[in-house]
Amino acid sequence: MSGALPEDLERSIVGVAEEPAVQVAPTRPPLTLGEWVHRNLFSSWFNGVLTVVTGILLAYLGFRLVQFVFVTADWSVLRANLRSYMVGRFPNDEIWRVWTVAFFLVVLVGISRGMLVPPPPTRRGLLLRALMGAAALGATLALVESFVVWLLVAVASALYAAAVVGGRLAGRRLARPILVAWLASFPLIIALLSFGDVGADRWGGLLLNLIAAIAVIALSFPLGLLLALGRRSSLPAVSWFCVGIIEVIRGVPLLTLLIFGRFVLILLLPPGLTFAQLVRAIFMFTLFSSAYVAEIVRGGLQGVPEGQYEAARALGLSTTRTMVLVALPQALRNTIPPMIGHFISVFKDTSLLAALSFSDLLFTARRASQAFEFVGDQAEALLPGAFLFWIVAFSMSRWSQRVEGRLGVGQR
Amino acid sequence: MTVQRDDDAMITARDVEKWFGHFQALKGISVSIRRGEVVVIVGPSGSGKSTFIRTINRLERHDKGRIVVDGIELTDDIRNIERIRSEIGMVFQTFNLFPHLTVLDNITLAPRNVRRWPRPEAEAKTAQLLERVGIPEQARKYPAQLSGGQQQRVAIARALAMEPKIMLFDEPTSALDPEMIKEVLDVMRELAGSGMTMVVITHEIGFAREVGDRVLFFDGGLLVEEAPPDAFFTQPKSERAKLFLSQIL
Repeated sequence: MSGALPEDLERSIVGVAEEPAVQVAPTRPPLTLGEWVHRNLFSSWFNGVLTVVTGILLAYLGFRLVQFVFVTADWSVLRANLRSYMVGRFPNDEIWRVWTVAFFLVVLVGISRGMLVPPPPTRRGLLLRALMGAAALGATLALVESFVVWLLVAVASALYAAAVVGGRLAGRRLARPILVAWLASFPLIIALLSFGDVGADRWGGLLLNLIAAIAVIALSFPLGLLLALGRRSSLPAVSWFCVGIIEVIRGVPLLTLLIFGRFVLILLLPPGLTFAQLVRAIFMFTLFSSAYVAEIVRGGLQGVPEGQYEAARALGLSTTRTMVLVALPQALRNTIPPMIGHFISVFKDTSLLAALSFSDLLFTARRASQAFEFVGDQAEALLPGAFLFWIVAFSMSRWSQRVEGRLGVGQR
Repeated sequence: MTVQRDDDAMITARDVEKWFGHFQALKGISVSIRRGEVVVIVGPSGSGKSTFIRTINRLERHDKGRIVVDGIELTDDIRNIERIRSEIGMVFQTFNLFPHLTVLDNITLAPRNVRRWPRPEAEAKTAQLLERVGIPEQARKYPAQLSGGQQQRVAIARALAMEPKIMLFDEPTSALDPEMIKEVLDVMRELAGSGMTMVVITHEIGFAREVGDRVLFFDGGLLVEEAPPDAFFTQPKSERAKLFLSQIL
């Protein structure tokens, strides 16, 4: 890439220099295209061969992909099943609930994003976003034939853009209300999606994966925290109990736990006490995830130097306050990268619900691929499912990078 | 309560012993430190001097003997310990500031959470303290943005914020670059002049002679010699002290 410093770094260097005598080291002029190609792609005959071979391979794959998407593929299977991919068998008359939730989330995400990413986007960033927006719009127009849906998507996009701008303008002032809104959002969403005669058994598609993932993440984070603290407890009974839970859970495959939840758990419960299938699955999944969260937190706590605890104790802080005010904030900040990685795994692993016959996204995509009228269209049925999983996981990863940047992980 | 009640004694240690596994770090230390006294502890590394001052606020639990601080005996009773700790400020060699908190929050953390001071009061006190240690303009910075000398002065301010009756210093200048040692010693000098009871482990002989009321020389887990600073540094009585001084002077 070009040898120039990133703009903000350059600005910060110049900003720090208070005396005019300080000079910024002269930067190399940006390479011309020819120089760049020569230096990075053809620096030796071997690299040249590699470049040519890889280039041909990539071009061929790219050509096949474009050819498949725009020419060969018959997307009628996706057109027919798109609604199932998104929401499963959610009743048609009640679909407004999902749209309400979507609008609510779009606004919440937009404001948060505007708050978290204050600098105005660069020209390249804007272009990229415009392209992504156009692609999404094109896909919607091509796959959905309902004018109402077009309108709703357009409204959602406009709301999102407005929310980002609003969040940017409001800055930190909105931090507290937004945090409260996030905390309150999940119970509200669950209530909105399930009151009346729409039960959890009607949820499906991506909606089900998202709900399950969010529930597991929201529940396993505090539970894992408690397990990690319990493991460090000076009371042997507590620490052995926590170590036992963590090691047993981590030693068993997730699918086994889910099957246990489905078929065995019911036998262990007092007679008469029953829970919905989904609740039991989320319960087992939460146990599983907590064990991993606990180990991540334990790693973070080990990174907090002993001197921190000593300083806190020397000030007269109790063990609890030392943990909450001194150790955990430092430990959790250092665990953001592995923690987000784990949460992304949790989201992807919700596809195991398909093995328990929940009609999640994977299950829906497989069923669509097996339908009689779309024989031969397996790729068209399965690829969009994979793509939707990827979009969500990739967004989570990008968000975590932003949060890390904001909190200065790895600095200070 | 067989320990005599000496109204002038701030810290009384009687036959204090401490083991780490099979290693005996303290082999029976008895010493009494008066209110307002500045005691300097010197000795080779591994002599037990650091272990001893850490028993005073129970960062280390002593295995035998008794320690009475300001009329309260150190026992396993956690309430006593937390009460005594909040009366004793401690400054560490490696500062141990909380890196995730600003200078202001480092200093107000304990007063607000232990003493339950309201925020405005704690912040006003912090402003005074930062003025006193000579860095009033750094309140909003994070520790990593300060020099070593500034960090150690913040650490002193943090300890003083609890309005302690005793200040313990565990080699406060050993991790500092030479040009920053003076700024920290100046703060400690001022503190000694204000009548604070201080126990200081240091190798700064000039500081010890100027500010100290008494020197304790530790070696091999024993309190080997006890003398006024001038006498100790010019005419040490024990052979071990002579050897030690010949090595550091």
